[in-house]
Amino acid sequence: MIGVPRSVLWFLGSCLVLVAGLGLWQVLADSGAIPRAFFPGPDRVWTALHRGFSSGAMIGETLTTVRRMALGWALASVIGVGLGALVGLSPWMRTYVAPTFEGLRPIPASALAPLAVLAFGLSDGMILALIAFGAVWPMLLTTVHGVASVHPRKAEVARLLGLSRLAYAWKIALPAATPDILGGLRLGLTVALILAVVGEMITVQGGLGARIMIAARRFNAADIFAGVALLGAIGLLTNAALSQIEARLLRWTHR
Amino acid sequence: MTTVQAARGPETPIMAIAGASVSFGAARVLDGIDLELRRGEFVCVVGPSGSGKTTLLRLLSGLQPATTGTVFHQGTVQNGPARGVAIVFQDYAHALLPWRTAAGNVSLALEAAGLPRAQRADRIAALLATVGLAAHADHFPAQMSGGMQQRLQIARCLAQDPDVLLMDEPFGALDAMTRQKLQDEILRIVAASGVTAFFVTHDLEEAIYLGDRVVALEPNPGRVGAIFDVPLPRPRTQLSTREHPEFLRLRRDLFDFIQQFEP
Repeated sequence: MIGVPRSVLWFLGSCLVLVAGLGLWQVLADSGAIPRAFFPGPDRVWTALHRGFSSGAMIGETLTTVRRMALGWALASVIGVGLGALVGLSPWMRTYVAPTFEGLRPIPASALAPLAVLAFGLSDGMILALIAFGAVWPMLLTTVHGVASVHPRKAEVARLLGLSRLAYAWKIALPAATPDILGGLRLGLTVALILAVVGEMITVQGGLGARIMIAARRFNAADIFAGVALLGAIGLLTNAALSQIEARLLRWTHR
Repeated sequence: MTTVQAARGPETPIMAIAGASVSFGAARVLDGIDLELRRGEFVCVVGPSGSGKTTLLRLLSGLQPATTGTVFHQGTVQNGPARGVAIVFQDYAHALLPWRTAAGNVSLALEAAGLPRAQRADRIAALLATVGLAAHADHFPAQMSGGMQQRLQIARCLAQDPDVLLMDEPFGALDAMTRQKLQDEILRIVAASGVTAFFVTHDLEEAIYLGDRVVALEPNPGRVGAIFDVPLPRPRTQLSTREHPEFLRLRRDLFDFIQQFEP
């Protein structure tokens, strides 16, 4: 209201905190309180990033990780939303199938990694399977919940208008469940990035996960930190992209 | 009225309920209902709470099956919802699709009826104009007032091209001014479309103002207690109709009737 909008002040404030954090990190690293061998300062991490990007190797590896993450996430989305709609719209499936989901969901996907290696070898397929298994649960469960909790009045409107079951699913249940489904897709996105890195650390077939693994074996802490920083940036950017899509899809919820 | 009947053919009632009862488990909500809706008439239903007004409306819509007895629509037995029978629900916020614009909500009924895409736009524009929402076609329900959302639901019901329009306390959630405005609009719309209207309300004056007949229900279980003919001239107007001696007499009769059942 007075001069600068509040949101700009918040943004500037959070930038200040970030800069202060980086400064503290640098001071801590320079002091030598923690051995420099495994605690590089921002300056050395920046150098490692710069070196990685100017040689071109890091660009390729970043893209590899993003591609695996995106493919695995997309696979999980198709399965999760499709199966979730099927189960959520059928009282029979909700009664008999949904409890099985509750039993499978708590299994850590990373524990199934050896199984995925046996089935797919040290390949992209193994990583995709791992991501799909881990990321599918939030999408599946939010979709089941979303389509099952459509207000009964809307189902009555569909009956009165003579909509087919398929038309009901497509025109009423899925749009009504969009806020829930988007929440599941967002949770799945985080899981997909984690499992992409886990898969890459196991298969060591390129990607940032493999790069971090190799850097660790060489005791190159700056390269590890550079990889971690890039993964953080990937998480931030993909999340921001999804937020944009979400705002567009959910514009009907705002005035 | 007589010319309308002649133009529409036989004298058979457009809807009829014969000896119908509705029970939910052991509780009997409606009992021994016999009722006929004549073509083009405006029937209002009043009754104390627990008299099964909404259940009666749902029985006519086909959403609620009769436990015993039969419901007829156009002379044939009705087994479930039919496109010719539309409902305007009181809770417009739940009945509309908030992710669709006003035009999109009207479109839903046309899509369900299988109208080709190319023919929808003109129909939608005409229907929105009928309910006075021509300028709001691109608005989402959340951007509209309660009265506008209820008009939108009426437009979607008209898009079904119904011969019977059932309304379940449609103006119950609206403020007094909007309510009066919409009462006049629904009279105009019903008269223009020739649809048969069945209107549930708890407002006795609203029932008299709108109806050709007022059905008064008795509670526990719900039965038809009395049917009042409303010989007030049309078109009706908020001031002179409500001051008409016949209006005041009917208001007293209906009030006395309902009062018997109030504790």
